[in-house]
Amino acid sequence: MSMSAADAAARSSQVSSPVGGGRRKPVAVRRRRLGETPAAWLLIIPVLILFSITVIYPLVETIRLSFFDIKGLGKPKFIGTGNYIKLFTDPAFRNTLWTTLVFTLGTTTITVSLGWFLAMLCSFAPQRTLPFRVMIFAAFGISEAVSGYMWISMLRPDQAGLLNSVIGLFSPGFAHPWLGDPNTALWMIIVAASWSGVGLPLMLCFAAVQAIPKTVLEAAYMDGAKPFAIMRFIMVPLSMPGVRVAIFINLLGALRAFDIIYVLTGGGPVRSTETVGYFMYRESMTQFKLGYGAAATVILLVAVMVISIPAIIQRTAGAK
Amino acid sequence: MIGRVPNWIVWVVGVIACIWVIPIIGIVVTSVRPPADVTLGWWRLDNIRFTLDAWMRVWDEYPLANAFWTTLWITLIGTGATMLLTPAAAYAFHFLKFPFRRTILVIIINAFVLPVQVVVIPLFQLWRDTGLIDNILAVLIPYVGLSFAWSIFLVKNFMEDFPKELIEAGKIDGCGPLATFWFVVLPNSLSAIFAVGILQFLWCWNSLLLPMLYLRTTIPLPVLLTRVSGTYDLNWDLRSVAAIVTTIVPLFVFLIFQRQFAAGSQTRTGAKE
Repeated sequence: MSMSAADAAARSSQVSSPVGGGRRKPVAVRRRRLGETPAAWLLIIPVLILFSITVIYPLVETIRLSFFDIKGLGKPKFIGTGNYIKLFTDPAFRNTLWTTLVFTLGTTTITVSLGWFLAMLCSFAPQRTLPFRVMIFAAFGISEAVSGYMWISMLRPDQAGLLNSVIGLFSPGFAHPWLGDPNTALWMIIVAASWSGVGLPLMLCFAAVQAIPKTVLEAAYMDGAKPFAIMRFIMVPLSMPGVRVAIFINLLGALRAFDIIYVLTGGGPVRSTETVGYFMYRESMTQFKLGYGAAATVILLVAVMVISIPAIIQRTAGAK
Repeated sequence: MIGRVPNWIVWVVGVIACIWVIPIIGIVVTSVRPPADVTLGWWRLDNIRFTLDAWMRVWDEYPLANAFWTTLWITLIGTGATMLLTPAAAYAFHFLKFPFRRTILVIIINAFVLPVQVVVIPLFQLWRDTGLIDNILAVLIPYVGLSFAWSIFLVKNFMEDFPKELIEAGKIDGCGPLATFWFVVLPNSLSAIFAVGILQFLWCWNSLLLPMLYLRTTIPLPVLLTRVSGTYDLNWDLRSVAAIVTTIVPLFVFLIFQRQFAAGSQTRTGAKE
């Protein structure tokens, strides 16, 4: 028993141990504290090595490279902020910023509002809508490479494309190259990305509403609240934490988007669907302008960081 | 649940759900109809014939079987490594005291915000210089390394509810830190480790960007699919089979997990109220 008391004291805090009294700690306690360090390092060293190779080093190296002019395998030349100045005078990159904004806000708005709306509807009949929820959520489990292929076949430019055929019911012979027209391609990517994404806000908001104690809802019903009033005053406010998480996840996901754009349009036509996350790939991996691509990555990183400030603060404060 | 549920609500959700699965039905139907019958669209009913021809031929036309095994291997190793290393580190961060513990922890769990694009250029240079291009290690290392940001966060959060009495009991029985981890904490954290495994499985299986850049000949399924789906060949049936093969395993894993996810989230909130 005394052993466990000493342990508890050792583990509990940095304040002086009540067991030893005064400043001198019992030998057992001191040995334990020192004794945990090697074991701890043994357990985390593989994680530290892998994390350093794949996160710390790339992060530092990307920032470093963004100040260099690198052509293929040639010797990097330090050019200071040259890449950044070039980025903001490059019309293609400025167009990219606009595309990123439209894509990010477009997918997030459609995904979260539709997912939230469906979650509210489903909350009224949780059992009967279960299969439907699974059907919508299934799209979330399909990889972007595959959902991109599905949408390529849905949006075929000829009559065999479902969208063309449906519009063809009203205006016969209608055929539009949805992915080949710079005016529609980005919107089609937004539709495809939203199709995959709706399941997540649906599930998050639905779970938030399901977590409302049944007694609260029953009490409201006994007091004569109509379903609409229950939704307006109980479900909507209580689903807001789910909405916030969904917005954050969607913003973050849309900013990083690469797969769906690569599969559907490859950034085209005429670079009209390139987001910053795609631009960096194109410049660095197809044009081999590594420094220039790294600078674009840093811009992406800054955007991601700004959006994530609340989440970072929360996680840091919560890390005990 | 509360009062009478208007039927139109179920109908609205049902209709939207049916629209939602149309793209999925589309590739399944395309894969089992002769291409000649679907030149005007897979939904046409004027000439219905069923064939598994595409399912037979695709294995010869595309290196689909190889890609399947490559994907399976990469995914299993990547998932296994994460499931093994994450709980060890999460245990050390949560239960042990060592210098810089909190600093390292804060850096790791905040790395979840980093987009995968950040690793693209530096790792490309690193693998090129070390000759790891086209070696599956070139994708396995980032798969595992990038997973720690969220996996350690998830497992450590789970450990915060871990009963202290069990740890104390282990210590009384003479367990050191490592024995406590192996005999007490690990066997009681399997649900969190399993959740990490599922997420990592899906992420490894579906990854496109990194294998596309770092692998050339041994390619996983998503890379193979993008190589054949972007071309203007008219084998919609073959490509649909390739798409189904690419997504069938993770989709099933996802749907099975989704049920546990929903149930788990409900019981967890119930327990905390």
